[in-house]
Amino acid sequence: MAIINQATKELQVKVVYYGPALGGKTTNLVQVHDHVQTAAGHKGKLVSLATSSDRTLFFDFLPIEAMAIKGFKTKFQLYTVPGQVIYNTTRQLVLRGVDGIVFVADSQYDKMEENVKSFQNLEDNLKSLNLNLKDIPYVLQYNKRDMPNVAPVEFMEYLLNNRDEQLPSFTACAHKTEGVFETLNMITRLLLQKFIAQSQRRVA
Amino acid sequence: MASLPQLIEEDIGELNSVLQELLIKSDAGATLIIDKGGFIITQCGRGLEFDCMTLSALSAASYAATEGIAQVVGEHNFSSVYQQGDTFSILVNNVDQFCLLAVIFKATLSVGAVKYYAADTIKKIAAQLQVAQNRDPNQGLDLSMLNMADPSSMFKKKSA
Repeated sequence: MAIINQATKELQVKVVYYGPALGGKTTNLVQVHDHVQTAAGHKGKLVSLATSSDRTLFFDFLPIEAMAIKGFKTKFQLYTVPGQVIYNTTRQLVLRGVDGIVFVADSQYDKMEENVKSFQNLEDNLKSLNLNLKDIPYVLQYNKRDMPNVAPVEFMEYLLNNRDEQLPSFTACAHKTEGVFETLNMITRLLLQKFIAQSQRRVA
Repeated sequence: MASLPQLIEEDIGELNSVLQELLIKSDAGATLIIDKGGFIITQCGRGLEFDCMTLSALSAASYAATEGIAQVVGEHNFSSVYQQGDTFSILVNNVDQFCLLAVIFKATLSVGAVKYYAADTIKKIAAQLQVAQNRDPNQGLDLSMLNMADPSSMFKKKSA
């Protein structure tokens, strides 16, 4: 859960990018790291624990401080999980203490089954940590929209966003930075709204 | 899910004083209290020399992964991870279900001595966290000062 440090007026929040293998989770972090506009010292190093072929082995990690928030320094820690099925224990470790989730789905038709399985795996892993997806802000990103065999957005919405209250979803071509910042800004907004609502309930 | 209690300035002050005491006794370079999710709670010493945010994220992950390995081989009495370096070594100790204590010290120092002094520090940190927990486990903080009315995006892309 997020850490609120009253002494230093800091809020630390953990956002995890989740989704099937080769869906573009690491690419999202790389693009944020390469293109985000921050004051000096507000962006940390991108740490990748990856194999020699650049497949995520444990996680990628990017600390970043948000702009335009008065009163508090708000530090976001962005993580990715390894998408490959065999690394489930690792995914559970990375989800520990998660505050918000970006589910990065692969838009290609032949990846739909993997998208659905990965989403189910996310719900299962949260349950193993006594967490419920309903209590955690999350957004959907339909990545790789520039590939030739992509499913229509409506179909992906039907598969992954078919619920009473629909979640924010974004189309993206992460390697071109398209949709990357829109997704990041939405999850940070949802998270801060949640914290403010919680704190107001407690103060009231 | 149970979570770290809300800490107030008094708690952080007490934790910093305990960390400072450990620094002096053990001659360590830096001490950090880390949430098991990877956040820094507080730090003392020459932390500015290191990228402490990355260090805390990796330490928490390393501890969790090694704990998982220990359980696979049936070792349930697991409480610390030690990384021996040429210049600096790092000892990561379990504090309680929420926190870890990381100590960065010169490789010339004995890990045994650091462990010995850290044991007392761990008890004091756990006691202070219990004080915070007993104070009001659901105590929150008024975050209404966060300027959410500002319509501008929090993260902006650099102009080309």
